[in-house]
Amino acid sequence: MSQAAAHLHWRGAGGLEQVEFFAEGMHCANCARSIRSRVGALPGVQQVDVNLTTARVSVAWDPARARLGTLLDTVEGLGFRAVPLNGAAGSKAQRAERQRMQKRIGLAGLAAMQMSMYTVGLYVGAWSGIDPWIEQLLRVTAMLIAVPVLLYSGAPFLTGAWHDLRRRSLGMDVPVAAALLLAFIASVLNTWRNSGQVYFDSVAMFVFFLLVGRYVEMNVRRSSLDAGEALVRSLPASVTRLRGDGQSERVPLQQLNAGDRLVVPLGAVIPVDCTLESGATLIDESLITGEALPVGRATGARLPGGAINMGAACTVRASTDAHHSTLASMAALIERSQAERPPQAQAADRAAAHFVFWIVLLAIATAAFWYGFDPARAFGATLAVLVVTCPCALSLATPAALAAATTRLARRGMLITRADALERLAAVDTVVLDKTGTLTNARVQLAEVSCLGALQRAEVLALAASLEQQSAHPLAAAFTAATHSRVAVDHLREHTGRGIEGVVDDVTWRIGKANYVAELRPGGAHGTKLPDEDEYVWLGSATGCAAAFALTDTLRTDAAAAIARLRALGLDVRIASGDRRATIARVASELGIAAAEGRMDPQAKLALIHDLQAQGRRVLMVGDGINDGPVLASAHASCAMGGGAALAHAAADLLLMNESLLAVAAAVQTARGATRLVRANLRWALAYNLCAVPLAAAGLVSPWLAALGMSASSLYVVERARRFARAEA
Amino acid sequence: MSIALLLIPLGLLLLAVAVWAFFWAVNNDQFEDLEHVAERALDDDSSAPALPKTPPRP
Repeated sequence: MSQAAAHLHWRGAGGLEQVEFFAEGMHCANCARSIRSRVGALPGVQQVDVNLTTARVSVAWDPARARLGTLLDTVEGLGFRAVPLNGAAGSKAQRAERQRMQKRIGLAGLAAMQMSMYTVGLYVGAWSGIDPWIEQLLRVTAMLIAVPVLLYSGAPFLTGAWHDLRRRSLGMDVPVAAALLLAFIASVLNTWRNSGQVYFDSVAMFVFFLLVGRYVEMNVRRSSLDAGEALVRSLPASVTRLRGDGQSERVPLQQLNAGDRLVVPLGAVIPVDCTLESGATLIDESLITGEALPVGRATGARLPGGAINMGAACTVRASTDAHHSTLASMAALIERSQAERPPQAQAADRAAAHFVFWIVLLAIATAAFWYGFDPARAFGATLAVLVVTCPCALSLATPAALAAATTRLARRGMLITRADALERLAAVDTVVLDKTGTLTNARVQLAEVSCLGALQRAEVLALAASLEQQSAHPLAAAFTAATHSRVAVDHLREHTGRGIEGVVDDVTWRIGKANYVAELRPGGAHGTKLPDEDEYVWLGSATGCAAAFALTDTLRTDAAAAIARLRALGLDVRIASGDRRATIARVASELGIAAAEGRMDPQAKLALIHDLQAQGRRVLMVGDGINDGPVLASAHASCAMGGGAALAHAAADLLLMNESLLAVAAAVQTARGATRLVRANLRWALAYNLCAVPLAAAGLVSPWLAALGMSASSLYVVERARRFARAEA
Repeated sequence: MSIALLLIPLGLLLLAVAVWAFFWAVNNDQFEDLEHVAERALDDDSSAPALPKTPPRP
C-alpha cells in the first residue's frame, strides 16, 4: 500500500514498529471494539489502541511477522478509511472527507425542501380532493428526487450498516439504515400500487438531520484534539541542519541527534529542546504553557521544543533528539491518557450497545402489535421507533464532555495525562501543597556558604555545582547558577530525598542532608556541629565536612490568590514540605494556612497522605513532580508543576505547563464542571429516550418529527460540550 | 391543472441547478474558511503570508 509512507509510522521500543492514523467512519463503541479485536487478532500485532473520541488508532507490531499494508487493509476491510494523522496528505484527506460530507448535507437539505412542497400538495389533495394523475405525478417526482438522496447522501449509513452486519454486530447505523430502506421501499411499493402514503420526504429529512449531527460531531472531534496533540502534529517533518563545514542540509526530524546545530527560520516551530547559539529572538510558547505573549530569549538560553520562533532566524544547538524532547514526552503522556477509556465512558458504551439491540426488538414488537391492531398505522409507528431512539446522544455524552474539559485545560497550559484524571480531580476535598518549587519559585538562591574544612569558597562551590549539575531537583539550580567552574565527576548517583554522591579525583563526595553526608565517615559524626544541622545543605567526604550551604527561595506572587481560590472551592489546604520548620512556619503564616508541616521526607509525606485518606478524605497532592513521585502516585489525584525534564517521569495526573498555582484551582473547577456536564448529558439522553420511545411505539410521532428529535438530542449534547470547552473558567 | 406538467419539471430543473451550484461552491473551497476571510480587510498587510500563530487546523 503506497500511502503507508504518509502515515505517522516509527520504530518503537523492543524492535516493534508503530503506526498511528485516523479511522474515518468510526462513530460508536462497536466500531472501536471491532478494530481492536480484528486488528489485534492479526499475527505479530502486539498492541492496538483505539480512541473513540478522536478516532485515532495506534498499532504496534512485530515487523518480522506482519506488514503495515496488511494492517491497513484489515482496517479498511472493516469499513473504515485509514487517514494519516499529520502532514499534507492527512489534511488533504480530512478536507476531502469534510467536503464530501458538506455535499451530502447540501443535496439532502435541498431535496428535502423540494419534496416538502410535493408532500404539502399530497396532504392538501387528500383533504380536498386531487386529480389522480396529479397525485401520481407528485409521487413519482418525489421518488425521482429520493433516489440520489438515499444513494448519495445516505451512503454512509447504508455502508456503515452493511459493515456492521458483516461483522455480526449491531452498531448505530443498523436501525438507521433499516428505517431508511423500509421507508423508501414501502413508498416505492405504494407509488407502484398508486395508493397509500409515501415517505420520500421523511427519508430526505432523516438523512439531512442525521448528516448534520454527524458533521457537527466530526468537527467537534477534530477540534477536541487537545493543544498538546495539535502541537506535536505541528512539528515540521524535516529540519535544516548545519554540517561541520558550515553547509546546511535538510534532514528528517526523526534523524536529528542531540548536539546537532540547526537553523530555525522566522515563523517556524522549534523542533526539539535546544539552546540558542547566537543572537536574540522572541519566542511564542503559547502552545506549551498557555502564555499568550511572546518572550525574549538571549544567547545561551534554553528554548523549549514546540515554541514558535517569532523574532529572527537563529541558530540553535539541539539538547535532545526528536524522541526524547519535551514534545515527545508530552505526546507519550497524551497518548497514554487517550488510549485509556475512563470507566464512565466505558459504562456508557456498553449501555449504548445493549440499547441498539433492545431498540430493534422493540421495533419488531411495535410492528407486530400494530399489525394486529391497526395495520394502516403499523408501518409509521415502527419507522418512528427506529428513527426516534438515539444511542448517539447516550454514547456521546461522556466523551464529548471529557474532551471539552481537556481542551479547556490545555488552552490554559494544563495537560491531562490520564483518562480518569478529571473524574478523580473533581472528587478531591483536601489539597496538600509541597513548598519548594510549588508554593515558592523553583529558582532557589544560595544565601550563605560556610567553609568548614581546608577548601576555599570557590573550590567548594565548584565541587557542589559539579555534583549537582545533572540533578533535576529544584535546589540543584542554586548551585549550578552560583559558579561557572566545574570539576570532572564520575559515578554520579542521586538518592531521592537525601542527596547526591559522586567521585572526584578518587575521593567520594556527597552533597545533601547532614546524616547522608555523615554516613561517608566511619564514625558517622561531623567535624563541626552547627545549631540546626537540617537547615543547611552539606558537602563532605570521608575526611569530614567541607561546607554548609544555606538556601532561600521566594514565594510565588500568585500563591496567596491561588490559596484563596482553592479555599473558595471548599478545599482544605495544607502544606507538607521537606524544608526547615522555621521557613514553613513563616510561609504558612504568610498564607494563613494552619496545617503546615516541615522537615518531611517522602516517607513522611506518604504517611500523611495515607492518614488523610484513612480519615475518608480525597487528597489532591501538588508537587514539583521530581522527587515527589511516590507521593503523587498515592494521592487520590495529583498535579505536578513544570515541564521540561519533569515531564518524562511525571507520576502526576495533571501537569501545569505554565507553573501558575492559580491553575490548580481552575483545574479543580473545570473537572467539577465536566463531571456535572457528564451527568447532565446522561440524564438528558436517558430522559429523551424514555419519553420518545413510548410515544413513537404508541404511533403518536410521525417519522419526520422522529428524525428531527433524534438529531436534535445528539446535537444538544455535543453543543453543550462545545460551549463548556469555550467558556472561561 | 396541466400547468403542473410544466411547473414540476421546472422545479426539478431549479433543484438540479441549486445542487450543482452548491457542489461547485464546496469543490472550490468556499466553505473552508468562514471566519478569517471577513477579517482580512483589517489586516495591514494581507498579501504577506500570516505567521503561524497557531498550528493549522486539521
